[in-house]
Amino acid sequence: MKTSEQYKNEIHRTGRIGLLITILILIAVPVIICSVYGIFPTFKEFFLSASGLLAIFVPLTISEVISFTPLLGPAAYLTFITGNIMNLKFPCAKGAMDVAGVTPGTEKADVIATLSVGISSMLTIIIIALGVLLLVPIEPILQLPAVKTATEYMLPALFGALALSLLKSTGEIQVKGAWKSGIVPFILIFIVNVFIYPLSGLEGVVLLVIIPLTILCSRIIYKKGWIKVIYGKEPEDIEVIE
Amino acid sequence: MTYFEVANSSLVYLLVLAVIIFVFVLSAIFTRKAWKRGIELGFGKELLRRVVKQSLIFTLVPSIAIVIGLFALAPALGIPWPWLRLSVIGSVNYELMAADMAAGGMGLTLAEASSGGPAAFGNIMLVMTTCIMGGMIMLLIFGKGIMNKVSKLSKSRSDFNHVIMSCFMIALASVFIPGILAKGIIYILTFLTSLLVTAGQAVLVQKFKVRWLKDFILSFSLVIGMASSILWTALLG
Repeated sequence: MKTSEQYKNEIHRTGRIGLLITILILIAVPVIICSVYGIFPTFKEFFLSASGLLAIFVPLTISEVISFTPLLGPAAYLTFITGNIMNLKFPCAKGAMDVAGVTPGTEKADVIATLSVGISSMLTIIIIALGVLLLVPIEPILQLPAVKTATEYMLPALFGALALSLLKSTGEIQVKGAWKSGIVPFILIFIVNVFIYPLSGLEGVVLLVIIPLTILCSRIIYKKGWIKVIYGKEPEDIEVIE
Repeated sequence: MTYFEVANSSLVYLLVLAVIIFVFVLSAIFTRKAWKRGIELGFGKELLRRVVKQSLIFTLVPSIAIVIGLFALAPALGIPWPWLRLSVIGSVNYELMAADMAAGGMGLTLAEASSGGPAAFGNIMLVMTTCIMGGMIMLLIFGKGIMNKVSKLSKSRSDFNHVIMSCFMIALASVFIPGILAKGIIYILTFLTSLLVTAGQAVLVQKFKVRWLKDFILSFSLVIGMASSILWTALLG
């Protein structure tokens, strides 16, 4: 059996090599197409189109790394390679952690998250490929008003399903009452969204401010004794192999 | 060649397919490594199979939503490019915005991007690729360091370090949920329906020992929540 350190080194190596190759081939695709068809934009054209997008996407994608990597562990490599993080990969990994009864941040949670994101990524690739193959026959069904409405409201349904899991601690180490540290950030973000500026699409950047604020609130509440850490036993679902 | 002759050319299909196959194989490698490590850590095969089943079932509905996103992008960008972006790196929530802004920089709307000729397509591809790379490059450089820090926190004997770990989840809920609720009454009702369905299922699992349901809670709540939005829209929309 590999030691924890050996496994970590191996999974990081796979992740980083995979990430590097993905970056290179993703850049290669438009470069090859532009070269073959002679359609490279001038630097001015490129810069005019890219400047606005860079201003939004660079901080957004960087903050997503800071916010989600601690929760996903090495599963973050595949999560960021395959995308659709908040609407698919993260909830899927969190649901898997709940099924396995593991504490986020531990090696067990990292393994479960990696397994979950791997399976989810392969299925998503297959479903999208089927969507491309069956574009003509399935388009009328997926364009039905009821289907479009249901899809539009996927995020509230997803967060309704996830809310309890996000606020309730699970696994071997349980942090009871941790949800109380989210009260002030929740109210603050609600007020900003309703009265000042809708933050939709900027959540990744906002998290950079809200994570330290939540930790600060938790520090105060913890000192008052309103948050307790309980070290439990292994969940009963985990069968230990001798 | 016209904009769409390039966008739907066999070369674009070929390159896109190559990247997608690579990412599929990479996903399979990660899955295999995680499965083997799971067994080594003492998870029974039965539990790992339940994790796989939960992940497969949960993935179905959001994946269909991603296919709908493909239909939204295809009329402006052809089929292979959105296929790549939604299978690898992109997010259905951001891709439309990114493509629209890339076209906007050329003084075009996304719908009329084809009037810019094949050069417009080349520009959109390069801009969309460059702008989303920040996260991957950041992860490549700092990912291991962040994960090692988290690993130390979770192994720590200090109680407060475990509180800090739980704060990431709480912060996530504190940022996303108010933003969703602030969007209007149908968003609130859909959220609440999904929340109540989750709570109801949790009661069935814990109090009435309907253990098989545990693996389906997230999927059932998502589907029932989304279906309820059709009802709320018909009543209040």
